[in-house]
Amino acid sequence: MRSRTLLLFIKHDRIMNVTVELFGIPRARAGVAVTTATGANLGDVLADLARRFPDLAETCIDDRSLKPGTMASLAGDRFVTDPDTPLEEGACLLILSADAGG
Amino acid sequence: MREGERAESEERKAMNESVETPSTFGFHGRYLRIDVTTGCAESISLDPQTLRRFLGGSGLGTYLMLREGAARIEPLDAAAPLAFVFSPLVGSPLTTSAKFAVVSRSPLTRRINDSLASSGLAIAGKKTGYDALVIVGRAAEPSILVIDDGRVRLEPAGTLWSQTIPEVESALRERFGNEFKTAVIGPAGERQVHYATISHDRRHAGRGGSGAVLGAKNIKAVAIRGTHRSDWAHPQQLVALAKSISEKSFGPATAKYRELGTASNLLVFNRLHALPTRNFQQGSFEAAAVLSPEQLSATREKARNSCVACTIGCEHIYSLDDPGDESSAGVRLEYENLFALGPLCGIDDADVVLRASRRCDELGIDTISTGGTIAFAMECVERQFLDEPWLRFGDGAALLRAIDLIGNREALGNRLAQGSRHLALDIGHDTIHFAPQVKGLEIPGYEPRALQTMALGFAVGTRGADHNRSGAYEVDFSDDVDRRDVRPEAARLAVETEDRATLIDSLILCKFLRGVFDEFWDEMAEMLHLVTGWDTTADELRATAQRIVNAKKQFNILAGWTPDEDTLPERFLSQALPDDARAALSSDRLAALVRAYNVARDWTGDGYLSSEQTAELELEL
Repeated sequence: MRSRTLLLFIKHDRIMNVTVELFGIPRARAGVAVTTATGANLGDVLADLARRFPDLAETCIDDRSLKPGTMASLAGDRFVTDPDTPLEEGACLLILSADAGG
Repeated sequence: MREGERAESEERKAMNESVETPSTFGFHGRYLRIDVTTGCAESISLDPQTLRRFLGGSGLGTYLMLREGAARIEPLDAAAPLAFVFSPLVGSPLTTSAKFAVVSRSPLTRRINDSLASSGLAIAGKKTGYDALVIVGRAAEPSILVIDDGRVRLEPAGTLWSQTIPEVESALRERFGNEFKTAVIGPAGERQVHYATISHDRRHAGRGGSGAVLGAKNIKAVAIRGTHRSDWAHPQQLVALAKSISEKSFGPATAKYRELGTASNLLVFNRLHALPTRNFQQGSFEAAAVLSPEQLSATREKARNSCVACTIGCEHIYSLDDPGDESSAGVRLEYENLFALGPLCGIDDADVVLRASRRCDELGIDTISTGGTIAFAMECVERQFLDEPWLRFGDGAALLRAIDLIGNREALGNRLAQGSRHLALDIGHDTIHFAPQVKGLEIPGYEPRALQTMALGFAVGTRGADHNRSGAYEVDFSDDVDRRDVRPEAARLAVETEDRATLIDSLILCKFLRGVFDEFWDEMAEMLHLVTGWDTTADELRATAQRIVNAKKQFNILAGWTPDEDTLPERFLSQALPDDARAALSSDRLAALVRAYNVARDWTGDGYLSSEQTAELELEL
């Protein structure tokens, strides 16, 4: 049991390299369509992006979470909001403007 | 004018009678019923209780259609009513409140149809001193219906008949001056194309064919001016609230609409395989980047615009390639016309998409139904069910030719003019299985297999496949569901989005404002309280939304609705998306979702109103 806990701890502390695809306002603010970021979970990756893209942070990121109006999806498969959502090495994170319509 | 003096006299008499009508803050407490056969107009009271229970816009319009018995009248018959409906918030300082609804029975779906549009006509219409203008009858000759501060007259349309919408709008401005606001149909409305629009200031009440209903009445345009203001119960607080909402509307919740416009959905939907392509045969388009607003903005964007009384400014207007083109004043591009006239028809040339959009606006046809019907015909040609070899996916010239044929109802255009369902039934060979429609209304740019809560919203929509009356895609774009494996538990979430849309469409506000509200129902109740003085609560508004949805359903039942209409075409229920195998939706799953939706609405399992709900509505009428 102790070794399993230790393994989990190590896994969550590892720095994952994540591909981030940006769409809509996040893309306009960051000035890039695709970038890479590092972090063990969603909150870490958002914090990394906020450090590197201040304009993106101002509109879209609030500490380790996304501001209202912005959303994140893991490879388009599922939308995620919890900053503690773990990310795998090589994961693809989409960051996009919320609300469709038109 | 024909019958003019008599009409004026009758109307004045009616207006005098209505002086004793109890008024309510935010409303005038009456509607004007205009018979264009006789030229007579009658003022009819609306009691405060009815207004509180149906509000305005879509809600009040549905009530009026039930009261007029429209469900049992053929939509293009002279007797069929068509209503321009205003709302308690119109004319207030609240941002985006200058909106009106056009409500009738749809010639395309034969079900209830409520189309919304914006800007000065809403304000002018309410200033006539009426909460709605209901038009019945058929003018003896093509006419302009003039409503001048509540006085009604008909003028011959003369040479305006057969002219395009921009030509008519320009001519009417010259003829009546800027004080009059106009609602205009194009050649397509005159020829009763089943998805013809009504345009005001180039914004269209677009879906479901209200332009054909007006055309069937021989009315080319309605010109409106008024001076009657309605009072607000708490003006100072209302102004303060309006200021606060306007300030929020400059923030991040609306940045997408302001900076990029709705067309920015294109790349997101493409990435999620939710972008309908080549008549829903694929969920992504290889040339999406070329058509994206990100790309177009780099070389084309000319201007941004907004409706009257709007602080968002979502309209993005792009120039055409040929600067020497005298009509290259720019084309407004939204996601829906971009998707429908681009990927859905396999078109990868942005200039063609812009020209096709402009031509639809000139002729007065709904871009979604136009693109959907043409894309369906293209697939029929490809599969050799239709012998029109010139009509091929990806052929821009063919797309533009088909649009003109539809607007003029010439050759193949006459068959396309009744929509994809009608064309499929005409062609046979089970082509109905891939006609992209629900209840006859072409499906907007949301691939149902990739967005399955939206699939439910489309299936149960009272006006057919519709992204404006159901916001169920919001559920798909959340962590509440797996969008490609949606379970019946999501039905309640779909109901919530539909109820919100219903309330917004009845107050009326722009849905692009919805992101600025933290406590939607409470804030709507406060807004309505400040305008009307009613002690409205969030719970009351939830019940109101449900009542309005019930009323729409009741209309459809009276018009012949049966439970088997609440589904999607066979293609969506038997084939996974070729470019995303996980995007698969079975008929069993959709049936379970529909049933859960019906239960969540307190309807019977197969979608009929309960006896209590029916009795309540009958009591209202």
